[in-house]
Amino acid sequence: MISSINPSIKAFAVLIPGIMLGFTFDVFTPLLYFLFILGITFSMTDIPTLRWLKLFSPFVLIALGFAWMTVLYANQTFSYGEVVFSLWGLEVTTGSIQTGISLALRSLCFGALSLLFILTTDSTKLMLSFMQQCKLPPKITYGILAGYRFLPIFQHELQVLKQAHRIRGVGRTKGIKGRLNQFRRYAIPLLANGIRKAERVAIAMESKGFTGDKDRTHYHQMKVEKRDWLFFVLMIGMLAAVFILSYYLGYLNIFGKRY
Amino acid sequence: MEQLNVQPKPVIEVRDYSFSYEEIDEQPLFNRLSFALNENEVTLLMGASGAGKSSLALCLNGLYPDAVEGTATGDIYFHGRHISEFEKGELNQEIGIVFQDPESQFCMITVDDELAFTLENRKFPASEIKGRIKEVLKAVGMEGFEQNKIHELSGGQKQKIALAAVLLLEPEMLILDEPTANLDPVSSLEFIELVQEIQEERGMSVLIIEHQADDWLELIDRVLVIGRDGQLLADDTPERLLTEQKQLLEQEGVFLPRAYSDAKDLRDVLPIAAPSEESVLSVDGLAFSRKKQQVLEDVSMDIRGGEFVAIVGENGAGKSTLLQLMAGLLTPSKGNVLLSGRKLEKWDENELRKRLGFVFQNPEHQFITDTVYEELTFGMRLNGYAEEEMEQAAGELMRQFHLEKQHDSNPFSLSGGQKRRLSVATVLDETPDILLFDEPTFGQDAATTAELMHYVMELKSKGTAIVFVTHDMDIVDAADRVSVLQHGKLAYDGSPEKLWEKEELLQEARLRLPARMRLDRKEGVVYDLIH
Amino acid sequence: MTNQWKLKEIVLMSILGVVFGVIYLVFFLVGQGIRNILVPFGLAPFGYEIIFGIWFIVSIMAAYILRKPGVAFTAELIAGVVEVLLGSAAGPGLILAAAIQGLGAEAVFAATKWKYYRLRILVLSGVSAAVFSFVWNLFSAGNIALAPWLIVSTLIVRMISGALLAGVLGKWLSDQLAKTGVLRGYALGKELKRKRKYGAA
Ligand SMILES: Nc1ncnc2c1ncn2[C@@H]1O[C@H](COP(=O)(O)OP(=O)(O)OP(=O)(O)O)[C@@H](O)[C@H]1O
Ligand SMILES: Nc1ncnc2c1ncn2[C@@H]1O[C@H](COP(=O)(O)OP(=O)(O)OP(=O)(O)O)[C@@H](O)[C@H]1O
Ligand SMILES: [Mg+2]
Ligand SMILES: [Mg+2]
Repeated sequence: MISSINPSIKAFAVLIPGIMLGFTFDVFTPLLYFLFILGITFSMTDIPTLRWLKLFSPFVLIALGFAWMTVLYANQTFSYGEVVFSLWGLEVTTGSIQTGISLALRSLCFGALSLLFILTTDSTKLMLSFMQQCKLPPKITYGILAGYRFLPIFQHELQVLKQAHRIRGVGRTKGIKGRLNQFRRYAIPLLANGIRKAERVAIAMESKGFTGDKDRTHYHQMKVEKRDWLFFVLMIGMLAAVFILSYYLGYLNIFGKRY
Repeated sequence: MEQLNVQPKPVIEVRDYSFSYEEIDEQPLFNRLSFALNENEVTLLMGASGAGKSSLALCLNGLYPDAVEGTATGDIYFHGRHISEFEKGELNQEIGIVFQDPESQFCMITVDDELAFTLENRKFPASEIKGRIKEVLKAVGMEGFEQNKIHELSGGQKQKIALAAVLLLEPEMLILDEPTANLDPVSSLEFIELVQEIQEERGMSVLIIEHQADDWLELIDRVLVIGRDGQLLADDTPERLLTEQKQLLEQEGVFLPRAYSDAKDLRDVLPIAAPSEESVLSVDGLAFSRKKQQVLEDVSMDIRGGEFVAIVGENGAGKSTLLQLMAGLLTPSKGNVLLSGRKLEKWDENELRKRLGFVFQNPEHQFITDTVYEELTFGMRLNGYAEEEMEQAAGELMRQFHLEKQHDSNPFSLSGGQKRRLSVATVLDETPDILLFDEPTFGQDAATTAELMHYVMELKSKGTAIVFVTHDMDIVDAADRVSVLQHGKLAYDGSPEKLWEKEELLQEARLRLPARMRLDRKEGVVYDLIH
Repeated sequence: MTNQWKLKEIVLMSILGVVFGVIYLVFFLVGQGIRNILVPFGLAPFGYEIIFGIWFIVSIMAAYILRKPGVAFTAELIAGVVEVLLGSAAGPGLILAAAIQGLGAEAVFAATKWKYYRLRILVLSGVSAAVFSFVWNLFSAGNIALAPWLIVSTLIVRMISGALLAGVLGKWLSDQLAKTGVLRGYALGKELKRKRKYGAA
């Protein structure tokens, strides 16, 4: 199960393919890797398919946007091949279509990778793992966590602020203008409250004996085991395999240079 | 008290210490204080609200003046070492503090992470952390709350977690800033016992800041009093101080423990005005759930014009929730709330707010502007008052509630008691039909409590219905009617007199008798009530 | 570097990161909306560019409020991490993008040795963040495949957006906050206090 993989290792296992795929401009390479990510997602996690589809659909929209833009506006290096059709005076070639599809698949890969990561990772554990494995200073780790704690409270805080305005006689607002007004009235106080909280949380942490000292014990011990490295090797190894296969089949295209 | 005969060993020594939130050359908050806090000694710090007690506490453990950009002169030593020589956080492992405002002392989301954080800082072995957390939660009566989110706890529950955290620190010196202000009566007694136990076991030095110190009296070896002008007015044993220097304390407006006081009971001094027959607000078959938890179940009550109703019950019983439902801030999952016979949601919002005033348990939730003056005039401004009118009305409120000097202060930077008074004052600019207060008197000294009660009672005599959620049994004693909430159900609804006779109910709902009756019955009974 | 930062300054950066992490996510949708509006005019590529500056605002605000080396970079990085934790559409690569934007903003402050925080420096910093992020997008989003005229004109739009939405708006918001008094304990608030005193004297 991927949710039990060490978060730092997982982050790198997801980040590296994300960067490496940035070099490819052919259709085959990202497509193959995309299928692989799908396979991993549905075999090694327990994310419900419907939920995944719901979260993934915006990525598809964005990817289509990307593709369309590139198809229309590709430059000389990428608009090789024959003209297929033209629109608004722009000529669309087989090359630009290929490049567009490639970019779309690439961003689908990013999307699928990021979902794979987010849906299987607890944010507190991620930060703790950054501290324990990547030697992020405790001061930064707990500083970030303290800020992150504000997130669930944020909603609560907004609720309270709304209630306060109501009992003080500022009525509920309707319509777009009212909403905008409300936004203005809330934005600065909400931010100001956040900053006030930041200051107090820092005092609270110090009052509990937090020195920022690296030498501390860990309630949630984040370990790196063999299976974590196995996962890493799987993700990166598969990436390498896809690149190699693509090269042998003659599809690989890096920055418009074909191999 | 035998320790006083032995040469006391100082843990903290304060010499010529002055502190100010602004430049020090103006009138400093406290001026050239010198005193020592000794090993194995329990000290009570008294003073009027706003005198600077909380600020002093934070100076003692080195968090101030740095954290607030204040200025300080003079020296503080911990075991002979100047506190500026300690690293940040290092000193805090030795001097534990419970802040006055329980909400501002958490840094994690869940209860167990919060408690583990303290233990990790102390380099406590990882394998023992879980067990230790369980133990301390048991000690403060919060077993099984490990996975709860802190911001979703009730006011008193938060305070208990704050206490648990400081107990885990096992400090050499413990500072408690009004630690029981939001606790129900029995929890409060239990906590005091717990502190006593730990203090005796470890012989640590304890500094307690508390307005109503009755229940602490047995532990206390020494009393310090800071005056409104920032001077140390007294440093003595409780007996001598409370008998020989009574006048001084009365002048400063602090509470004298009942045993030493000849002040009359609240119920005897408040003006009596019979409520009318007409119902103002009625609650009918009310139920409310949060996520899966049923918080309230089938609550019905009627509040009449000019009636003073107290709602009591243990921490987490659902009192604040009930009050918010009455104010229309939450929507019930079953049942209705009617104001003058009409459902709350049928009211025009503006009209409703003019007729119904509400004060949150946490005063900060009330604040929406940047200065005390604006806060007080906010409602008037909405209703289109003229500037002079507002100035006059606000001036009157500021005088009544001792906030004149804070005219331009930010509401968030007031002292605990001042915040409470300001939040109460914000709803008093008009005379509505009904006022709902969630623990309006906590953190007040004797003088301000009495003034506040009189002010509210005056409104009552004009026909305004008053509802208090409170843990103060002396206030309950003065109410026309009391409602006891127990696990979300109404367990009693009637006169306080009759409630005091129901010993079993009092025990189950974690309540106590008011002071006048405790004194009548003397010892024995009081402690029987806890166990 | 981190030793110079007080804990409360780190928490402040983090809270700004959280708040703007949420706002950034909202702006993804806004960008998409603008883009849809621009499609019929053949200007779709400019959809995100117009609002791109908002993505640098944390850098500018944090640096302007705290005025210490490394703040612009770190604040943006934290906002990026938060955005990923929240489930941003751009994926973990966003952390890298945030780091690069942060570097862009930091570069300008570094060039002034972290001494000047006037409007023009803030605006410059927003522009620099825009340039850095643009170069990164040439690679990461494959924008290098686009026609040269389009590359140049989107760059210009993004620079303007960085100047206005990050530089000018960031300063305005911070000043607004300072007025409420919550920044008393930070460099910006202290400067304000000094100015008032100086002005009063
Ligand atoms: N952060 C702050 N900035 C500016 N002034 C402050 C701040 N905190 C407190 N004060 C002011 O300092 C004075 C003393 O406050 P402090 O909280 O120490 O009082 P206190 O004795 O604990 O009162 P209470 O019994 O009401 O809690 C008050 O007048 C308050 O307005
Ligand atoms: N925002 C919230 N989300 C979830 N649960 C909550 C929330 N607020 C309160 N609760 C829970 O609802 C119950 C009732 O809380 P409430 O605040 O009404 O108690 P209370 O009687 O006012 O207690 P106290 O005397 O401690 O203030 C408690 O168990 C509490 O944990
Ligand atoms: Mg106080
Ligand atoms: Mg409550």
